[in-house]
Amino acid sequence: MCGCGEPSWGWGLCAPSPILLLSLLLSAAPFGLLGEETRQVSLEAVPGWPGPPQNLLHIRAVGANSTLHYVWSSLGLPAVLLVATNTPHSFLSVNWSRLLSPEPDEGLMVLPKDSIQFSSALVFTRLFEFDSTNVSDVTAKLPGKPYPPYSLAEFSWNNITDSLDPATLSATFRGRPIHDLTKAFVNGSLSFRVQAFSTSGRPIQPPRLLHTADTCQLEVVLTGASPRGNCSLFGLEVATLSQGPDCPSVQEQRSIDDEYAPAVFQLDQLLWGSLPSGFVQWRPVAFSQKQRGRESALPCQVSPLHPTLAYSLPQSPIVQAYFGSQTNFCAFNLTFGASTGPGYWDQYYLSWSMLLGMGSPPVDALSPLVLGIMAVALGAPGLMLLGGGLILLLHHKQYSEYQPIN
Amino acid sequence: LGSYFCYDNPAALQTQIQRDMQVNTTKFMLLYAWYSWPNVVLCFFGGFLIDRVFGIRWGTIIFSCFVCIGQVVFALGGIFNAFWLMEFGRFIFGTGGESLAVAQNTYAVSWFKGKELNLVFGLQLSMARIGSTVNMNLMGWLYSKVEASLGSAGHTTLGVTLMIGGVTCILSLICALALAYLDQRAERILHKEQGKTGEVIKLTDVKDFSLPLWLIFIICVSYYVVVFPFIGLGKVFFMEKFKFSSQAASAINSVVYVISAPLSPVFGLLVDKTGKNIIWVLCAVATTFVSHVMLAFTLWNPWIAMCLMGVSYSLLACALWPMVAYVVPEHQLGTAYGFMQSIQNLGLAIVSIIAGVILDTRGYLFLEVFFIACVSASLVSLLSVVLLYLVNRARGGNLNYSAKQREEMKLSHTE
Repeated sequence: MCGCGEPSWGWGLCAPSPILLLSLLLSAAPFGLLGEETRQVSLEAVPGWPGPPQNLLHIRAVGANSTLHYVWSSLGLPAVLLVATNTPHSFLSVNWSRLLSPEPDEGLMVLPKDSIQFSSALVFTRLFEFDSTNVSDVTAKLPGKPYPPYSLAEFSWNNITDSLDPATLSATFRGRPIHDLTKAFVNGSLSFRVQAFSTSGRPIQPPRLLHTADTCQLEVVLTGASPRGNCSLFGLEVATLSQGPDCPSVQEQRSIDDEYAPAVFQLDQLLWGSLPSGFVQWRPVAFSQKQRGRESALPCQVSPLHPTLAYSLPQSPIVQAYFGSQTNFCAFNLTFGASTGPGYWDQYYLSWSMLLGMGSPPVDALSPLVLGIMAVALGAPGLMLLGGGLILLLHHKQYSEYQPIN
Repeated sequence: LGSYFCYDNPAALQTQIQRDMQVNTTKFMLLYAWYSWPNVVLCFFGGFLIDRVFGIRWGTIIFSCFVCIGQVVFALGGIFNAFWLMEFGRFIFGTGGESLAVAQNTYAVSWFKGKELNLVFGLQLSMARIGSTVNMNLMGWLYSKVEASLGSAGHTTLGVTLMIGGVTCILSLICALALAYLDQRAERILHKEQGKTGEVIKLTDVKDFSLPLWLIFIICVSYYVVVFPFIGLGKVFFMEKFKFSSQAASAINSVVYVISAPLSPVFGLLVDKTGKNIIWVLCAVATTFVSHVMLAFTLWNPWIAMCLMGVSYSLLACALWPMVAYVVPEHQLGTAYGFMQSIQNLGLAIVSIIAGVILDTRGYLFLEVFFIACVSASLVSLLSVVLLYLVNRARGGNLNYSAKQREEMKLSHTE
């Protein structure tokens, strides 16, 4: 929002703060074309394949005149499809035998095709590990000496029907390497917890991103895996579809409000094209303990998106099935933690959350409590001044009335 | 003056302490609270102890020893990775710290009485603030040097750094010894009396305090708690919200002290010349209010807000404390000042803890809003004083007399 590279040394550079304040005060998030106040949100594992169960999770959010589809899957790789349609009657159609074949094109579709307003995908391709010892240069390109990355295409994933909970609209994909040669994941796993919401609100645990019925949340948790060094940092490679020749960019929005994520004054946002389209939102913070407090908060760096050739990435069947094989990908890396401060090594735990949605991204507003206290804090002295003025006036009146008698 | 250097040691090393000792902000702020607790009581008895029990020379030496031991224990807590030991160290440090200031003032009075006392007090305050400033900017650097020479960061590094910081306390102990020697010699040569604090404190006086005095207490407490705990927690705030580097954040965090060092004597003179204390206090509180609002709700360069806060803090310090003298009969003055210092310390201790809790659970914005509410309380009580004054003007209140009026009044009293 504030497009200045300089950290606000001069105040001419970062002028729009009053506007920022204003936009924060206008609490009602402007709902975009697709945004609707109420949606019927359902979450189900897509049935129909006669063989062993396959992980295909369908979140369908039906509004009065639109439907949002999120299709999560760990087939091949953890990936998600986002499809927005302008009818409440659109549905997901899966041709299992084609989807599971080596040529999955058109194995998965959202119908009717002419109702589709927007579609994109995210693919989680690799888990990085870096050795951050002896890294003194903060500006270095890599956070440390890289170990060979774990390819998520070589992970095996549990059956989501075990963790699927229709009441909380959540499900967890939990995976570990198929060939765990170093035995790093004997007691460990990498999990992707997906949650949809039927109303807007905030989770209890930080980073407490504001969610609506238009969005779903992904929580990535790495736990128990033995790191390959004493000072290992982990990172995640994420790929997305590019709509044109250029990659979408990550915006870093600075805000004044850190009430929901103490001491984090930034919100990162990836937008596909101009609004309203799809978005990914996250706070640049990860946590090294289950109890996510400020003492376990790690910084989270994001690299710029760069174009990647499709064949250099492992393919996700659902993305190929929906978009075909002629697609351009852009990839970016997230890195969690720094060589100093808390880290994964504390408790062998790392968690990070992001919000995925279509329409206009939710906008944070000052909480009613803050506004209430400010109103009292500003109002009380104001009232005192007013009251004081009145008393003074009356006093003067009395004085002038008594004077003639004296 | 070494004690001022060490008072803000925790603020200068906040990130390092929290990382190396693995404590959250709530526990970190306890370091400040433990400093304040003993002073809640000691402010009453510090003067008494100096006057009646130790005498000023021994008093200064003993309190200096306390400060030294406290800092050493604090540092040992770091070396042995025992946070409770660090807290205990701060407690001992606090026992000595504030009373040492009283002793210092007594020396100043006994040596400069009837001469340039105001200037001396101003300079003393300046020295104290310079100590704090140097600490803010030096400790981080010292920590990185020790880290480099020990080869790794950790609680040992922290302890060693604090131990080196403690050298200043030893210096101040040496100064205390030298002072005692000089003072004794002066007494022998000039037949000068040993200095007395002149504070006679009677707890029973408390019930006779007038409403304006209580309001002044409220102003004092609610003002000081928005400045000192904020500075204690400020460094991370500037780094996270305004993306300052560690050094720049230390620098801006110490700007309040930097400003108040040269301005205290100037404002002291200004308030002395013009009188009108209430107006000055009102200006100071309102300015602080504005600066906290700026810090909370804008991304403007925080130097502006911090400089404003520095100016208003020095103004308030000069204008508020003398105000007490106008609403209290002279024989209760000692009690009033002791009480004021005591509840100020109580307020600082409690608010330090609250501030830590708020920061850990609700973040900096909420903390700022809390501080704004405190300043607002201070503003409200101040306006109440103004109202009382306006209503009672006929009865001859004298809080807001100009210097000239005051002079006349003095004359009429002496006649």
